[in-house]
Amino acid sequence: MLALVVITIVKLLVLFAFTMTCVAYGTLAERKVCGHIQDRIGPCYCGPRGLLQPLADGLKLFFKEDITPSEVDKPVFILAPVLAVAPPLLAIGVIPFGESITLFGHKIPLVVADVNVAVLYLFAVASFSVYSIVLGGWASNSKYPLLGGLRSAAQMISYELVLGLSIMGVIMLAGSFSLTDIVHAQKHWWFVLTQPLGFLIYIVAATAELNRLPFDLPEAESELVGGYHTEYSSMKFAMFFLGEYANMVVASAVGACLFLGGWNPPFAFLSFIPGIIWFLIKLFFIFFTLLWIRWSWPRLRYDQLMTFSWKYLLPLSLLNIVATAGVMLWMHRI
Amino acid sequence: MFGPLLNGLKITLKHMVTPGVTVKYPYEHRKVAERYRGRHILKVDEEGRELCCACGLCEAVCPSRCITIYGEEDERFEKSNVGKIAGFYQIDYTRCIFCGFCVEACPRGAIEMTQFYELAEPAQKGDDPRAGLLYYKERLMKEPPTLGEEGGAK
Ligand code: SF4
Ligand code: SF4
Repeated sequence: MLALVVITIVKLLVLFAFTMTCVAYGTLAERKVCGHIQDRIGPCYCGPRGLLQPLADGLKLFFKEDITPSEVDKPVFILAPVLAVAPPLLAIGVIPFGESITLFGHKIPLVVADVNVAVLYLFAVASFSVYSIVLGGWASNSKYPLLGGLRSAAQMISYELVLGLSIMGVIMLAGSFSLTDIVHAQKHWWFVLTQPLGFLIYIVAATAELNRLPFDLPEAESELVGGYHTEYSSMKFAMFFLGEYANMVVASAVGACLFLGGWNPPFAFLSFIPGIIWFLIKLFFIFFTLLWIRWSWPRLRYDQLMTFSWKYLLPLSLLNIVATAGVMLWMHRI
Repeated sequence: MFGPLLNGLKITLKHMVTPGVTVKYPYEHRKVAERYRGRHILKVDEEGRELCCACGLCEAVCPSRCITIYGEEDERFEKSNVGKIAGFYQIDYTRCIFCGFCVEACPRGAIEMTQFYELAEPAQKGDDPRAGLLYYKERLMKEPPTLGEEGGAK
């Protein structure tokens, strides 16, 4: 029992450190990718090749003045940034990073909690993210955050539906809600091959869910100043970004688990490389894709965003489910 | 719909792998064109005599009126081969637009432009904090310092 507690606590700490490092270096990666896409080189003075930039940013944000505007709804105003960080940290706990390893005679699964309804749990937790934005927008008591908050409420509700439907095919094929089982089911065929449409829809919907370009309507700088976080400053402001990048890490990890075969190597002869490395490669591949998309495509108009979700993505994902079911039935009969 | 989107991704990927154009100024300096119009220099001839004869043509042509000249006799032809020099020659770099008209106007090739462009000056103590940008004859006759080196101001 004691061993279990210790192991879980260690795993939690490692996972937390990992997520925070990913978040910190995610911001650096974003700026580097953006720089190189625009023929610049990105941050380069802070440490070798700018590697200490996240540290400098963090310090700067800590030392900034923390302003609470006088007209805000104070408790909610403070609660909103907390709610931005909590969901991704809750979600990352159920993601399996690799197969079990044996250490000092204990078999340790590389997941904090191997929940058998992990996918449901993930979506339940992920939908909390919208609260931080809506509450932040509402509590700020100012027009731009309010508009940003309202936009994001509508956007996230629409895309959450699509997101949920997009992975239904995977769940049908794997026959389980447990992420570990889903990864095991991809030993030979990754679901990106059998569910290409599902994967595409997942990436699109996840981008929208994360409020990132081309779907970053809630914080459209050119229209809304800063969107829901206009009135925030200092560490509270940073928390929103922490949440956004942590969410990206989670979305990439879930994508890697559901579609890219989790810790399975692409070819059997490559299995000498530990599964966790494969998993991280896949995770960062999706992460990079998200960055890449952001700096390539323009923002959608709001009505286009809604049309896209309800008139194209939703029918497409339903079609995907029906087609998957049909093919499964047909295969079964033969 | 997908074609253009993928094309966009292709273009950004191409730019991502091409090296950036960033110059890490002040650690690196950009190479300027050979005919770049930077700070002026007042030339001397082979014997070290000043070429400028205070004819005032540059002063007259300067669109921003930033050159001020007072002539001076040089009876013994020591400083000039025509017997006249600019006793006072000043270019006000708060106003100069680096058009190069002065260089073109000069009949004796006495004024030229260099490639030096680091002209910022710290604020001076005294009445006019921008006094450091008034360049007098002595300073204009010296070669400008190397880019990036301390002492461009002196
Ligand atoms: S470069 Fe143009 S503005 Fe400057 S001193 Fe010469 S004529 Fe005047
Ligand atoms: S610099 Fe040339 S144009 Fe100007 S006063 Fe001297 S000689 Fe005349």
